Amino acid sequence: MLYERFKKWIVAAELAMALVFTPILIGQGKKMIQIKGSDTMINLVQILAEEYMGKNPKATPIAVLGGGSGTGITALINGTTDIANHSRDLSPKETNQMWERGVKPRVFAIAVDGLSIIVNEKNPLNQLTMDQVGAIYRGDVKNWQAVGGPAQPISLYGRQSNSGTYAFLQEHVLKNKNYSPDVKEMNGNAQIIEGVAADAAAIGYAGVGYVVDKATGKPMKGLKILNIAKDAKAQGYSPTDKAAVDSGNYPISRALFQSTNGKPGADAAAFLQFILGPEGQKIVEREGFYPIGAKYIEANTKNLK
Amino acid sequence: MKTRFLKALALTTALATITVPALPQTTTPPPQTFGTTIYLDYSFWATKEGPITSNALNNKFAFRRAYFTYENKISADLKFRFRFDAENARVLTSTTGSTNEQLKPFMKHLYLDWAGLLPNSSLKIGMTETLAFKVAEDRWGYRSVAKTLVDGYKDVTGADIRTSSADIGINLTGAISKELRYGAMVMNGEGYSRPELNKYKKFGGFLQFVPLPGLNVWGYAEYEKVADGQNAKMYKVDVYFDMIPGLNVTGEWFTYDSDAKFNKVANADGTTSNAHFNIGGFSIFATYKITPDKLHVFARYDGYQPDSTNGAKEVSLVIAGVDWTPFHPSWKIQPNVWFYSYKDSAKKNDVIVNITAFLSF
Repeated sequence: MLYERFKKWIVAAELAMALVFTPILIGQGKKMIQIKGSDTMINLVQILAEEYMGKNPKATPIAVLGGGSGTGITALINGTTDIANHSRDLSPKETNQMWERGVKPRVFAIAVDGLSIIVNEKNPLNQLTMDQVGAIYRGDVKNWQAVGGPAQPISLYGRQSNSGTYAFLQEHVLKNKNYSPDVKEMNGNAQIIEGVAADAAAIGYAGVGYVVDKATGKPMKGLKILNIAKDAKAQGYSPTDKAAVDSGNYPISRALFQSTNGKPGADAAAFLQFILGPEGQKIVEREGFYPIGAKYIEANTKNLK
Repeated sequence: MKTRFLKALALTTALATITVPALPQTTTPPPQTFGTTIYLDYSFWATKEGPITSNALNNKFAFRRAYFTYENKISADLKFRFRFDAENARVLTSTTGSTNEQLKPFMKHLYLDWAGLLPNSSLKIGMTETLAFKVAEDRWGYRSVAKTLVDGYKDVTGADIRTSSADIGINLTGAISKELRYGAMVMNGEGYSRPELNKYKKFGGFLQFVPLPGLNVWGYAEYEKVADGQNAKMYKVDVYFDMIPGLNVTGEWFTYDSDAKFNKVANADGTTSNAHFNIGGFSIFATYKITPDKLHVFARYDGYQPDSTNGAKEVSLVIAGVDWTPFHPSWKIQPNVWFYSYKDSAKKNDVIVNITAFLSF
């Protein structure tokens, strides 16, 4: 009787160990670098991954997924991605969650973006101030006439709340106030561009890498990229003006980040080194974004060690 | 009467001072999501000698649970959730085959979640998640396989500790700093399945200390007056260890003490008296992500002590399994094994093998 009972437990324990350890052994051989997050960064990082894999065919495969900065950071917290792409800083809530879940973030700035305010090419306006952009997206200004444009209701295009670009604009331009409920929430940069190009009364925002035609160096068909001034007395600058973005004269520039949990593993570190090195930064520039400056290079180098 | 009036006035004044955000007047629909989550089991009873195996069948397919969730993010700070749940708690043990044992839909969540009351906080009003095992459930992450210790206590032992994963009330959780979080809830105490029939309310609260990244110590206390002269208290302590990437190890311990829990004991003089008993248990589990989003493993040991005066009622449960995502996160295969061991020598062990499909759309 006792033996029978004991025997069953042996069989059961064996079954449990087989269930738990077989996948561990199988899983060891199949590695892949998972990258998730910002939709602004997805095309750039995808191209960087392709070029990296092309030059290093034996390197660990890389999978790049979007979903928004919030999704990428959540995946890093939950341990379901190796690298999170995010186009905004980590929020205090996310920093708290990381502490709770034992995630020690190492944040790498990989590119600089001039967040571009776009209107339809038929719109005669060429420039807005930061305050005017904020007032438009808060819904305080509802007609183009109020900011020097035609007598026409403004049609707002924006991103969903899991987007880093949404959060960045809200913090830096809307001064942490809520967006107007009239904003049409689009899935990504490409959808905003499509919407603005097709709507004469539209205003939208997107990363500079999305709004310039790489072949011609001019704005994408149907779009006009507005100059943005810090205030009513200041000169306006374009996000396509590299010197203005570098100097901070273009007021809504931002870094694009990748984060890892602790020191990146050898595979992820090799990919990051490629991105941050001359080859990767050349690709960054080719894709319409700007390479990182000295202030980020030092922090990146420290984080890789 | 006067005191009651003053209390009501004070409560009304306090509520009135809370600035409730104005609902935005939308011309376009606000962000809304619809989701469905389904747990589908194929269960095979490898041995069927204990009470859990009284089912006439030795294998079956069953939908154990189906959720339908609607969420509406009304503004940056305000969210609404409605969740329908359909469960068949008796699906594993039913012997009658009655049509009453089919999946039955009921309302599980119906609440407003407001993040604007305090910094880093969430205030939920309505039928919301309770606090007693929410954090442990999140760490375990395999409700599709098994509820955590306290949530599933009645299913395993039959002992009612009057706990539920959802209840009607007000629930405030938040973080004071990265090292300290809090939560408090006042609720009916009847869960989502029973109506409130008395004036008494249940109070629960926790403090969570995170002294080091990934090391969490969580303490919870709950009080409820279950009837005139009868109180119930629960204390629970959890430790979560998340210091190694991909690995979570959690320990849970709880004790439940209710004046309503007693055994009738025969005295030598022929009379009977009440012998009060406590209910308790502990659980240790570990989850490990072998490859993110693809392959995880989990294992757990539970010890159930449903009657502190009768050790023969003790039950041990071991669960081990694999979480495999072959193609897409919406479809997971979670083969798992349950081993029951009973302290009562009259009952033998049970071994149940489940192939669980976790589907979410």
